[in-house]
Formats: sequence, structure tokens, C-alpha cells
Amino acid sequence: MSKNLSELSGRKGLHQNLFEELGVLAKETGTPSSKDLDALAEAFLIGSANVFGTTTFYDFLRPENKGKKVYVCNGSSCLTAGTQPALSAALQASFGSDQIGEMCCLGRCHENVAFHYQGQNYSGNAINHINEVKEGSYPIQEKYHVGSYGKQILTASPEPINTFYTIWESVLQNTPEAVLEELKLSGLRGRGGAGFPIGFKLESAKNTAGSTKFVVCNADEGDPGAYSDRYLLEEQVHLVLLGMMIAGYVMGANMGVLYIRAEYPVSIQNTRDAIAQLRAHNLIGKNILNSGFDFDFKVIPGLGAYICGEETALLNSIEGQRPEVRVRPPYPTQQGLFNKPTVVNNVETLANIPFIVKNGGSAFAALGKYKSSGTKLVSLDSFFNRPGIYEVEMGTPLSVVVNELGKGFKSEIKAMHIGGPLGGLVPVSKINDLSIDFETFAANKFLLGHASIVCLPQNYPIIDYIEHLFQFTAHESCGKCFPCRLGSTRGYELVKGAKEGKTMDTVLFNDLIETMEIGSLCALGGGLPLPIRNALTYFKSELAPYFNA
Amino acid sequence: MNSIAYIDNVAYEVLQGETILTFINRIKGKQTVPTLCDAPNLDPYGACRVCSVDVALVQDGQAKAQASCHTPVMPNSYIYPHSERIQKLRKNIVELVLTDHPLDCLTCEVNNNCELQTVAAQVGVRDVRYPEGKNHLDRKKDLSHPYMTSDMSKCINCSRCVRACDEVQGQFVLSMAGRGFDSHIVKGQDTTFNLSDCVSCGACAQACPTSAISDVFESKSVAVDEKIRTVCTYCGVGCNLEVSVKAGKVKSIQAPYDAKVNQGHTCLKGRFAFSFYNHGDRIKTPLIRKNGVLEPATWDEAYAFIAKELTRIKTDFGPDYIAGISSARCTNEENYLMQKFMRAVIGTNNIDSCARVCHSPTALGMQRTFGTGAATNSVIDLKYTDCMMVIGANPTAGHPVTGAKIKQQAMKGKTLIVIDPRRTELAKYANYHLQLRPGTNVAMLNMMLYYIISENKVNTAFVSDRTEGYEAFKEHILQLNIDELESITGVNKQLAKEAALAYASAQNAMSFHGLGVTEQAQGTFTVMLIADLAMITGNIGRRGVGVNPLRGQNNVQGAADMGCQPHQGAGYLDVTIPENHQKYEQFYGAKLPLHIGYKIPQMYDASLNDKLKALWVIGEDMAQTDPNTQHVVAALKKLDLFIVQELFMTETANLATVVLPGASFLEKSGTFTNGERRLQKVNKVVEPLPGTKTDGQIVAELMTFMGYPQLEHDPDSLLNEISQIVPFFAGVKWNDLGENGKQWPVDKAGNDTEILHTDSFKRGLGKFVGNDFKESPEIVKNGKEYPYIITTNRELEHYNCGAMTRRTKNVEILTEDVLLICAEDANKHGIKNGEMVCVESARGKVDIKAKITDEVKPGVLSSTFHFPEIMLNNITSSEHDSEAMCPEYKVVSVRIRKSKGEYKTKPQKEMV
Repeated sequence: MSKNLSELSGRKGLHQNLFEELGVLAKETGTPSSKDLDALAEAFLIGSANVFGTTTFYDFLRPENKGKKVYVCNGSSCLTAGTQPALSAALQASFGSDQIGEMCCLGRCHENVAFHYQGQNYSGNAINHINEVKEGSYPIQEKYHVGSYGKQILTASPEPINTFYTIWESVLQNTPEAVLEELKLSGLRGRGGAGFPIGFKLESAKNTAGSTKFVVCNADEGDPGAYSDRYLLEEQVHLVLLGMMIAGYVMGANMGVLYIRAEYPVSIQNTRDAIAQLRAHNLIGKNILNSGFDFDFKVIPGLGAYICGEETALLNSIEGQRPEVRVRPPYPTQQGLFNKPTVVNNVETLANIPFIVKNGGSAFAALGKYKSSGTKLVSLDSFFNRPGIYEVEMGTPLSVVVNELGKGFKSEIKAMHIGGPLGGLVPVSKINDLSIDFETFAANKFLLGHASIVCLPQNYPIIDYIEHLFQFTAHESCGKCFPCRLGSTRGYELVKGAKEGKTMDTVLFNDLIETMEIGSLCALGGGLPLPIRNALTYFKSELAPYFNA
Repeated sequence: MNSIAYIDNVAYEVLQGETILTFINRIKGKQTVPTLCDAPNLDPYGACRVCSVDVALVQDGQAKAQASCHTPVMPNSYIYPHSERIQKLRKNIVELVLTDHPLDCLTCEVNNNCELQTVAAQVGVRDVRYPEGKNHLDRKKDLSHPYMTSDMSKCINCSRCVRACDEVQGQFVLSMAGRGFDSHIVKGQDTTFNLSDCVSCGACAQACPTSAISDVFESKSVAVDEKIRTVCTYCGVGCNLEVSVKAGKVKSIQAPYDAKVNQGHTCLKGRFAFSFYNHGDRIKTPLIRKNGVLEPATWDEAYAFIAKELTRIKTDFGPDYIAGISSARCTNEENYLMQKFMRAVIGTNNIDSCARVCHSPTALGMQRTFGTGAATNSVIDLKYTDCMMVIGANPTAGHPVTGAKIKQQAMKGKTLIVIDPRRTELAKYANYHLQLRPGTNVAMLNMMLYYIISENKVNTAFVSDRTEGYEAFKEHILQLNIDELESITGVNKQLAKEAALAYASAQNAMSFHGLGVTEQAQGTFTVMLIADLAMITGNIGRRGVGVNPLRGQNNVQGAADMGCQPHQGAGYLDVTIPENHQKYEQFYGAKLPLHIGYKIPQMYDASLNDKLKALWVIGEDMAQTDPNTQHVVAALKKLDLFIVQELFMTETANLATVVLPGASFLEKSGTFTNGERRLQKVNKVVEPLPGTKTDGQIVAELMTFMGYPQLEHDPDSLLNEISQIVPFFAGVKWNDLGENGKQWPVDKAGNDTEILHTDSFKRGLGKFVGNDFKESPEIVKNGKEYPYIITTNRELEHYNCGAMTRRTKNVEILTEDVLLICAEDANKHGIKNGEMVCVESARGKVDIKAKITDEVKPGVLSSTFHFPEIMLNNITSSEHDSEAMCPEYKVVSVRIRKSKGEYKTKPQKEMV
């Protein structure tokens, strides 16, 4: 986090965006050339060390990415489904092993066997048609079930653009204060994991002085197993865009940035198309509908780093800095993108805003349970008989999700990893104790998170999954804070050693996870211990041989 | 009312904006809470988490671990800095750090001065329980650089070096690269210090808590006898230095964090370029010229020779045939003594100092407008300003610590206006760069004034309450032909307008100027216009505003304050006013002349015209640094007696009749006054080299030798004497100066002054005087035949004639003077990068290596005169500021061609 770099990057801002330029420079060979980096540094008045530092951070910029042609998904769902070794072997037939890289979760968890080729994702049966894939004739759009349980806010059939955007007209005729009141009344909480009320964020940014402000959509849906944001960007993108426009109007931001992970190429294209549509309809731009309000969008594709889902890392990323987590305060609403007041919200959170504005905050607040109002999208993986995206009212029993919506499991399951890699590891025995809301998950020492569900089949060793989680964290740790940078690697080494017969010292292992849990700067290092603790609690005997007495 | 919070259940008041760490440290003492990534001059970073504390909302309630360095104190919270859980957390984190750190403390450079070692001891790590895993212990050392070293196997990834390079110096040489466990510090694109853009400020080494980054002097080693605080001898910033001494020798230098001037920062000159002080070239015995050869002599012989000669010349010709040039490198006390010698012992006002060749127009111009010729504000005002105007100065090279501060503010979004013919480092970061033709400052400022007046941006309240002469000034400005000024300066008038309005519209705007203002034919007038700009916008007399000359040498301010000027005595009293004259005569107990003496350029003319027979110069290499070398050398050669008091045999010393071996700043005590009028203690760090004496002692001894009852040279009693004659030193006492000194005026009670002219100007009302642009006589006379303009400048690595810096490893970093030339001009003459170019003026020619750059515009060249191999002043002229006689180094008419014959490969210094 460098305030100077934020400012210097901000001088060129979104128009000539440093991060985007790096991505462009990497297009040709997979990594920018040293000469290009020097030129970029000079243009931005920063050090070549800075651009080099940024380049070496991202999976799709770093020198190791050079020459990669095809990427195998190594996300948790494809891992537990066990589809990837065969996929890799099949790809070896068509590509050199130095051309095969990895990507962490392409969001094809409903059918797995996922891989990325030439800017597009494929899954399921695609590998069996690898020649068509290489020719570009294989369809890129996959199919999965979309269902709901209760009110449909996010999954209803999209309205035509001209009728849908009457909401926008009404907003522009209203005061920002009045719209803010409705959002506060709705009790809408962030769907990205932290569950922070959106009204507070918008109010804080609104009250921070400054003529330049930003609303940022965090579409870096990096949690393996989650593809609900992808669904929204690909099937319901106007909910998201209008949500951002309204948020911008409320807080006084004239620019909306969508940071969409590179692993979701269709989401990026679809969002860009939708923005072009808005422009064609004069719904964005200068003095929109004669309101005096200006608003425009910028889509920024990610370049492969899970940590960018953390909001301050995401802001650093857009600025072309290393996406390391910032300290708070200052909060993004005070000093965010380019040091300007910024509200960062998750895709799903923003997508709820049009409903609230149209129907009133209380209509939204009436849905749900406890302090969890509204609905929640749930992503089910291929272990369910009917995988897909489901919208459920907050408070819906987990058993309903599993049995009625997902139609039960295809094979015997020992646990579900719910809410991403930092969510809780829920044994099947706990299904009846949980409902889809922030509160019951927290009370049972789990985490709702993004409400994605990745299943662990009965024969999947828990120790392997723990190893995977440490490895994932070690790979994705930004490296800034000591507990996460060192702890995740040491944890991985301990578990790997245990699998090789070197039993772990229980005290040391507990010290390690406590150090990460209470010491880490952000939820990555701080969150990893939760599923590990769950594993230690619910799979104690299975894990016992790996620890000393 | 301030809120309260509890530490271990005891309530304490919380100060506004305190973090938990600053709160605990304030109450419980520093280092109560261990930290690894926090540093005194860096923003909180939150990486190491070792500073975590438990925080609860109720007494002994459910606590949350929070990193204290970046978490503000929550009112009424209960903080437990050392709960059992927290103690364990710290120990476990440090244990993790030690899994990737060599355990070779006993042989480590920073043994006993390592923050990791201290913290490990503090938290009580006894064991590293993890089995051996991945690590970075095999990283190679980087010993490529003359000063900077790194051993990244010792790195703990705290990023303090990266942040120091960014937040303190603003150079961005360092970054973290890779991610997670692989994250590691890189220089540039993973190169060495030597190949990177490192400016060798050493901030990273000082910030590093281990020995991962250090310097060749092992500045963090504890193997020293003592650490002594003193003040840097290079530029007018006046950085405080902490000098480590071992066995009577300087070992290394660091910058103290509590220094008001430099807050733990300094540049490569201050930090590393000290080894000149005991270089083998130091002169260690007096020398007297006998039969054309300088031969060693004893001090008594030298004094006797000098006394005899001075007496002879005084008797035969009169006291005005003797002159002295004091040194802005010397202390106040030494300068005071030197002018006192000339005035009280010899009886002449022929005393000047090297301030003449740099900031004499500043003193004169500001005196005319405000009544006082000193910086109105302080560098700390940068924090409070909204707009900075830098004119004719390149502070990132010339005044690196102030330059870095200006750059920091610019990078944080404050408006920066740079008026300079060169695209300097700051110009790159500026919102407005007015890249004018050298010599047209007056035209440029008149354009700005025009727009401020015509666009009604005048602060009328300030103008009517605090100034005089405005109506005539306004009329004068408004009748200017802007289009004509646009073509004179070469600066687009719209850009000039925008810059002017940015300056005028800022809540607080401050200006900085350097030799690019003063060393010109219209230097004094330019200074007056800068002052007018401040007055017309009301930017005088409060925080964040003012007119701030960047003083060249460490004690330029002091040399003038002490009276080393031919027209004003100690304390700036006009020597021609009978009342002052009487006061000085009474105070010195001697007969003094009532007419003003020679300025330096006049001394040369006087010598050539047989009006000057003896000259005593301290610490100035005029033969290399004064313009029009052949003229200067001829004048010096013509003297009967030429005394040079020096550290080294400079080009000037080689011309001397008598050479006296002086001492460096490291060998003396006294005071320097920096560019913000701050009088700071210089403390002797080592004894003067055998055979040498401090400059003050030499002057005092010679005074005694010649029969004047002068007390010995010691700062305490001399400051006492000075305080009785210099009005603004009234309350100055050696023992009250403390570590951060005092800014004059210091009243009788000892109170000092950060900001001048708060309620009224020294002269009462500030005075507006209009001045028109006038082409320099150099261009008028020679512009046709010599169509290019060369403007001289300075490089970061060297100081003026380089006598000191060339005797350090700085010479390995920057090895020669080069000619900056734009590609267009180079192409025109078929000159390639690195080829020798013959640069010729009406005075002479030099051959110098071309460096093709976008720093200069077509028609403009630039170079330095740090190296005697080039002697660039062979081509500079004797033109000078019309008012203060400061030489015009910045505007020299030349022509260029590719070098011929033997000069294709080597420099020449040929006189016409």
C-alpha cells in the first residue's frame, strides 16, 4: 500500500489504467517484457521495481506464465470431484507440458472437468471434443439449473432494458438522501462474506468530502465452488449495473468500476456488451436523462490472484500496485481507489439494490430471518443430483437446499465445504442444524460466506483437504502479513510431512492456527483456521494418526 | 475534552488521532510493545502483527487481537498489551520469522543492534519447533555498489526499506516481488543496487531492522566508541547527522529520527561522503611559496610571513589593498572572526564570502521588498501548503532532503509549479512546468503577475494593509505586452496563465528558489518579483506560504548574517551609516572605514588594476568555480600575497603564496545556520588531523599574532560576543541551542521564530517595484555568433568544485561532467550519445562528453563544473547580476561542434 503510488496511478486514473496496461502487455507472450515495464514505469513516474513487483504477483502476468496455452482448473470442486488428473492427461496429448498451466476455479463447479483455452472456459464433456475446442467451434456457454425457493429478486426473468430502467429514471428524480434511506431500511448486508450493511458504507462515502468518488463492483469471485456472481454477470447483468449506478448516485460517484476475474471471460464480455447497451440508450454518460448526474463504467479484468477479492487488495490491484492488503483505517469510503472515497461491494449485494429501490426498503427487510434480510444465491456443485444456482430466502433450512433444491447427493458425502475456502467444513450430520443466514452459521462456528457448496465424497481423506487448504492459502497469500505468509507455508509443510509419516506436534499445530487466526491482517490467513478447526472437531478420529499424543 | 481508554484497566487520556501503539508508548514508554515493521518515519503498515494487543469493550471482557500500530484507540476501550494470549501470539510470530532467518547473530554486522534480535529476546523465543522447510537462506549478497549493501538472507519482509524508498525519498527503487512465501525485495527489475536507479540516500539501510540492507560503513554495527551529533557541511538544508566514531576515526553516519530538519533522512553526501576528511590529500602543514614553489613551513613561520606582508601592504598601500573572502562552509563563529579580522585588524570592508556567487541577489532583493533577506518560512511548512512553486532550483539534486519533501507533497496531490529551463526531476512531477529560455525569469514572472492582476486574483486586503507602491506596480504590469513576453520566454501564455492562477487560487502557496534565479543578470529583480508574487496573493506571514530561498552551502545564511559582506557588518547593519559605524568601532575597539568594500568580482578587477595586493580566502576554489576562469586566474596571479586556507590543494591553492591547512566540519565545533534561519550546533567529532587547525583558530591566532586582543576560538564565548552585536542573535546561547537549534530572530529571552513577517514586514510595508525584462548583455553581445545557451547546474553526487566529494566513493557513482543536449540539436551537429563535443564561448572552449536527453529543449545546453578535468568555467562569462554582482553562471552564449583531433577522446581546457 503506497499512497504515492495510488496518487501517481490516479493521475492517469481509469483512462490509461496501469493495471490494464500490464494485462495488455502480457497478451502476446504471457508476461510483459522488461523493456515494456521500464517504459510503463517512466510513463507513470514510478519505479520499474513497482511494475516488476506487480507483474510477478499475478498468475497471468508473472514470467512463469510465459508460453502457457491451456489452463487446468485446480479449484476445490474439481479437486474433490477427482476429474482433473484425467483431464490433464488428456490435454497432454494435445499440448506440451510447458504449455499447460493452472487456474484456480473457473466456476464450472456444476460439472467440473474444467479448463481454459484461448480466453474461454470449457467443462464437462468438452475435453472429449478437444479438436473442436481448438478450432473454436465448441460452444462456450454451458448449461446449469437455476432455481429458487421463495421470493425471486435475483433469478426472475430479466425485464427488457427500457422498462427495467424506469427505476433509474425514478432514482434520478429522487434525492440521494431519500434513496439512501431506503437502502438503510432494507438492512441489505454485503454478500461477499463480511456481511457489512451497505447503507453505512454508502453513507460514509457520501459524507466524505471530495469531488471524485468511485463505486467498485468486486466481481473477483475467487472462492472455489462459487459461481453465483458469474451467474449474475452473465444472466442478470443489468441488476448489477443498475445497482452500481444507484449506489453511485447516492454517494456522489460518477464512475463505476467492475473488477471481473480473468477466469470469467464470458462475464467480462457480457458486462461490456451491457454497458454498450446502456450507452446506446443514453442511460449512462454525461447529464443522464437531463438529471445533471454523470455516470460511466469501466470494466477491468483481473489477472489471477485470489487475494484481489479482498477489497483493499482489489483497490491496489486496479491502481496497478501489488494487491497487498491495506491497513484500516483509512477505510475505502474515506480513502479508496486513487486515495478517493470509494465503496466496494460484491456483485450480489449490488444486484439487490434495484429491487429495494423499486419496492422499498421495508419490502426487502420483510424477507429473511434475523439480521439477514433478503435472499441469498447458493451455488451447488456436481455432487448434487441437480447442481446449479438457487436463490433462497435468508433463513431457508440447509436441508431444503440439499434435498429439495439439489435433489440430494449423487454419492455418499462426508462433508460440505460451504462459503469458499475460508468457510466452514460442515459434516453431513450438521445439515439439519443450519439455515441459510449469517446468524445460524456463525452460531454453529461455520461461515455463510458466499454460500457456495463444495462436497467432499466419503472416500476423500480429510488430511488431503487440509493440505489443499494450506496449499491454497500459501499460494494465494499476498505475503504482506507475517502470520499468513509464513504460517500458511509452514502449515502446508507440517501437513505434508504428516502424510509422509512425520506426526505433527499438536501444541505446535494449534499454536500455528491460532497465530494465523488472531494475528493475520485479513480474512485469508485469519479465515483458514475455521475449516481446519471444523475438521479437527468433526473428523477427530480420522485425523488422530497424524498428530502426536 | 479528550476521550479516555484503559491500559490494563487503568484509565488514561487519549490524544487526538493516537493509534493504540502511540498511546501505549506515550504512557508506558517506548518499546513497551514490540514491533518489527513499524518505523518512526514511516506510515503504519500492519505487516508483522507483533505489535498486536488485546482490546475489549468492557473490563476483562471478550477481547479481540488488534495490531496496535494502525488501529486508532477506541474511546473507553480496554487495552491489554500483554495478555497471555498476546504474549503467546508474539512469540509464535517471531518463531515463524526465525524459521526463515539465519541464526548467525554472533557474526552478524548488526549483532546487539538488531531489532529482530531485540524483539526475539523481548518475547522470549527459546526454540524453533518447526522442522526445516523452505527458506531463503541461500540468497546471495549484493556488494556491487560503492555504498549500499544487501544480504537478503537476513530479510524478514517488513517492507521498511520499500516504504522508506517510497515515503521518505520517493525514488521507488525497491519493491516486493513475487507473492506469499516467495515474496522478496527487489531493486528495479531484480537487479543490483549499482545497476538500479538508487540515489544512495541510505534511507532503506537505516530503516532495515536487520542487516538485510546496510552500507559499506556498517552504520548499524555497535562496534563504535561513541556517537556524536552534528550538522552536515554540504547544502543549506542543514541535516542533523549522528556520527559513529571508533578509535578517533569516523566510522559511519546515520540521520537521527528526532532531528527537526531531516527526521531521520539525509542524502548520499551527508550520509556517505565523509571519507574526504582524512583523505591522504589533506594538507597537513602550512606552505609558503619560495622561489615559485610552495614549501612546507611551521605555523609560526606562516603567521610571521603573513603578518609581515599584510603589515607591509597596509603601510605601503593602505588597508583597502587587502581583502578577504570568507567561507560559507565554515561556522558562524569562524565567519564572524574573519570579517572582524578584516574590519578590526586590517581596517577594511573588503570582506565578502561565497554567498556572493550564489544568493547575494536573494539577500538584496528580499531586503528591498520585505526588509530582511532570509527565508520567510520553514521547510516544515510544506506540510501545510497547498501549492509549491519551484523556480530556478533543482532541489532533488541540490538540496536532496528538501527536494524529497517537495516531491512527496507533489506525489500526494499538492499543486507543483516548476519554472526551469530543464525538465528536472521535480518538473516531471509538476502540474505546470514552465520551461522557459534561460535568462528570462523576469519576463516569466511578469506574465504570471499580469494574469493574477487581470484575472482579479489579487488579495486586495493584504495588498492594501501590508504593502506600498501597488498602484504604480499594477499599472506597470498591465501595460506589458504578453505576446512579446510569450515569445521571449518561449512559454505558452495559456500555460503561464493557468500556473499563475493555480498559485493565486491556492489557500496557501509557497515558493522556493535557487541559483537559477540568482545567478543571472536580472537576479535581484527576479527575487523581488517572486516576493511581489507572494505579496500580491497574500502568501506571507503564516504557515504554508512565503518566499524560501534554497541556500547553496551549509552556512550561506550564516556567512551573510555574520557580516561577511562589504556593505553590511555583522547583523546586516549598513557600514556607511555613521550610527552603525560608531557602534561597530566601539564594539571592536578599532578604527573602521566608513565606505563599503569590494565584492568578489570587484576584487579581481582591483587586482588586475593594481588596486588590490593581498587576498585571504578560506575554503573556496575560485579558480575552478568562479566564472571566466582565465580572468580569475590572471587576477589571483597578480596578487603580492595570496593566502589560501584549504583542506586540499585545489586549483586555487596551487596559485597561493601561503597555504594554511584548515579543518573540516567533523573536526570543529560551532554553529551553522541553515536556509530556514536555523542555528544548529556543529559538534567536533574527531580531533583535527595533525598539522591542521580549525579555521576559526587560525583566524583568532593570527589576530592575536598581529596584536589584536581576541579571545580564543570557542563557540560558547564567541556566540556570546556575537549575540551582543547581531540584533537577531540577542538571546542566542551555545548551551541553550539544544539538538535542534533555534531559528532567528531569537529574542533576549531565547524565543525563536519559525515564520517571519507575521504582522508587519521588517521594513514596515512590503514594497512593490516593477521591473522590466532586459536581455542579458551576454546574449546581446554574443548571442549571434554563439547561438546556443549553456546553463550550468549541479548533480546530486557532487558538491560544487568536488574537492570533497571527488575524494569519496561518490566519484565511482558519478565520474565526470557531461553536456546535456537534446536529440534535435545533437542530430543537427552529427553528435552521438557519449561523443565529445567542443563547446566554445567568447572566453574559451571546453571539450565535453555529450549526453542526449529530453531534459533540455533545442537551443539550450546544460552541464556541471564538478571536475577539474573539464573546467567548464573557462567558457562562462564575467557578466553578473546588475544589483548584487552575483555571476551569471546560468546564461552563457556558446556554439558547439564535434570535437576534433585528440579532443575526440579527452577533455580539453583551452583558453583563447
